Amino acid sequence: MTRTVAVTGLGVVSALGGNVDALAAGLLEGRCGIAPLRLFRHRGRANVAAEVPEELPGHDVALDPATTRRLSRADRFALAAADEACHDAGLDASLRRSAALYAGATTAGMRETEEAYRRRRAGEDRRFRVSHMLATPLSTPAAVVSQALGVFGPRGTFSTACSSSALAIMAGAEAITHGRARVVLAVGSDQLCRLTYAGFDALQALDPEPCRPFDRERRGLSLGEGAAVLVLEDAEHARARGARVRALVAGWGTSTDAHHVTAPHPEGAGARRALEAALAVGRVPAQAVGYVNAHGSGTRHNDEAEIAVLRAVFGERLPLVPISSTKSQVGHCLAAAGAIEAVATVVALERGVLPPTVNLRAPEPDWRDLDFVPRAGRRASLAVAVTSSSGFGGHNVTLVLARPGAL
Amino acid sequence: MTAVAITGIGVVSAFGVGVAPFWEGLVAGRSAIRPLARAGVPGVELGAEVPALDVRAFAHTPLARRIDRASLLALAACRLALADAREPLAGVGPDRTGLVLGSALGNLGETEDFLDRLFERGTGIPLVFPNLVMNAPLSYASIELGITGSTAFVSEGEVSGEAAIAWGAGLVADGAADVCLAGGADELDGVLCEVLRDARAFAGGTRPGEGGAVFVLEPLARAEARGARVYARVVPHPGFAVPAAVHRWPSDAAAVAEGLAPLLADADLVVAASNGRAALDRVELAALRQALGTRRPAVTALRGAFGDFGCAGALAAAAAALAIAAGTIPPAAAPPAHLADLDLVQGEARRTPVRNAVVNALARGGLCRPVRLEAA
Repeated sequence: MTRTVAVTGLGVVSALGGNVDALAAGLLEGRCGIAPLRLFRHRGRANVAAEVPEELPGHDVALDPATTRRLSRADRFALAAADEACHDAGLDASLRRSAALYAGATTAGMRETEEAYRRRRAGEDRRFRVSHMLATPLSTPAAVVSQALGVFGPRGTFSTACSSSALAIMAGAEAITHGRARVVLAVGSDQLCRLTYAGFDALQALDPEPCRPFDRERRGLSLGEGAAVLVLEDAEHARARGARVRALVAGWGTSTDAHHVTAPHPEGAGARRALEAALAVGRVPAQAVGYVNAHGSGTRHNDEAEIAVLRAVFGERLPLVPISSTKSQVGHCLAAAGAIEAVATVVALERGVLPPTVNLRAPEPDWRDLDFVPRAGRRASLAVAVTSSSGFGGHNVTLVLARPGAL
Repeated sequence: MTAVAITGIGVVSAFGVGVAPFWEGLVAGRSAIRPLARAGVPGVELGAEVPALDVRAFAHTPLARRIDRASLLALAACRLALADAREPLAGVGPDRTGLVLGSALGNLGETEDFLDRLFERGTGIPLVFPNLVMNAPLSYASIELGITGSTAFVSEGEVSGEAAIAWGAGLVADGAADVCLAGGADELDGVLCEVLRDARAFAGGTRPGEGGAVFVLEPLARAEARGARVYARVVPHPGFAVPAAVHRWPSDAAAVAEGLAPLLADADLVVAASNGRAALDRVELAALRQALGTRRPAVTALRGAFGDFGCAGALAAAAAALAIAAGTIPPAAAPPAHLADLDLVQGEARRTPVRNAVVNALARGGLCRPVRLEAA
């Protein structure tokens, strides 16, 4: 590998707020964005979620009025985060034009689509309101960002469940290292919808209370929504134009469990291979890693498999490596999770703040030796961190992120 | 960059199960468009439906008894491609085997069942929800085939099939996988027909369809070393985007032509994206004219034979690979009049060597995903 992948811009929309500063403040304070569900009515075990606040951040990009009316929430989250990231990176129209765009999505405009479907089925509409269903294709958020910001390089949308946007970041990093792109927008965006909420609840995968990753009383995940965008750039290109390098994407790895359509491999065999591959790609020894932003969904199976993997890879040093779950604050944002957590990890490296695991009262007895950064963020100087994502179907992606000059 | 060979093709189409009925039908100039038995709704009587598949023929694990139809179409195409490539995985570790599948809309039928119950009773169906996750076809296929390497699921609207093939070819070219299955599938159902009807999608003669196609891709050197039949090579291309309204077909033919021109410079065959929708057909024709200049490669258009759907491009790519291997270009189905001033293959198949073929691929929102195939 000859080219280095830099992160030169960040943007994020989550339950903690509509920009990176709001996320960073929320991480440090240990705010929890999970609250009673307001977007729609749900009858079931759980009724909490991490919703993006009503007042979305504004953006100064132009789309025609007809398109703007038809944007889904997922589209608007993606657009707001991309606008912030492009401003942050100082990408002018020329740089955006040739940039590649890789996105992750799992439901895109399903919230609007399911409502149009319900109205037609209930006889409230004589025909399908097709204009309300245009945001259904998962490629729509990427198309919105592309057309609104004039991004016309290679484009792709991945849907590997909860690892979707982590895979988009990996795809972007590979495009840069193989010389196919100099600048990449890696986008993750998803919104809450009735289908997803009822589905996870039917599987009894939702914690009725705000999720408690790694806690002995944990009962599942809390769904969230939002978007994050990372501007990835060939480090030489970034330096030549005087861009600020916020972090490096030092390594990446992916694997597939081939085990079950929903449950992770019990020993985390696939997740371990993804982590080991990411460290190998970046030539990063395990002992260099100072922080793990875990997948940390809060389900019994995930957290057990994940800690088993970390113990296997980091060995006796693991108690010295802080581990936390950003999902405890912003919920599980599905396709956006990998990108949001990558942004949180860059914030950790850049601002010297360990993101916390909130709602953690008492960890599993076997994990009492581990540092889950409970309650609130903590100041710490970090050089190298990993962030892991695992999705339904056993799709795993791990990224290694580093402070510039750390490796 | 490693040269990437196509050594296996699996197709499940309205012509039937396998490459043979698909290719024989196309070469004979037949159309698989028939009265819709399963998905028809008032106003949408004709389309291309895949005959009922025997689940047990393709899904062998207990887990897969719950497989949904869209996933089954993809899995069937994967198994057929593997059989066609004659043990391409021998000697390849599961973690060095890749799998890239695509779909525009995924599992429609069970999504509707789930929503119906949700709106009637307020609860979801736990056994069905795992199948509604968009990458369910990837999950099922990876479990059934024991693939643990680099995998991806892509969803790119009307170019989902081409995008999956391009991504899979990239994995082999970059050395991320020693063998990769790549392609996609989409299903048709009554609600989709209703939605498309209400969107007036059939005004220009477009016929809805469904099906799946998957390639086995491997390094050309490996394919030659094991004596595999090589249909063609895939030239990895990252694709490009052009200005367009987010929910509409692109209209800037010059931008499409600029991206297409390098791929078309020496192409003998263009498999057009034409699907009967005026806006797409118009921009494609203008872009081809501009990109080709005075050159007149053979052009065919096949969605009139196997229907229009998100992953139809995977079937178009399969046809292009078979055209290169057989030296035969199937005629355009329901010959698109707007392409008639190009060298459109009409009426009968044309026997001619095909060295380079380009499968044109345009999606709403301005994504272009052309696939270029070359003779090995």
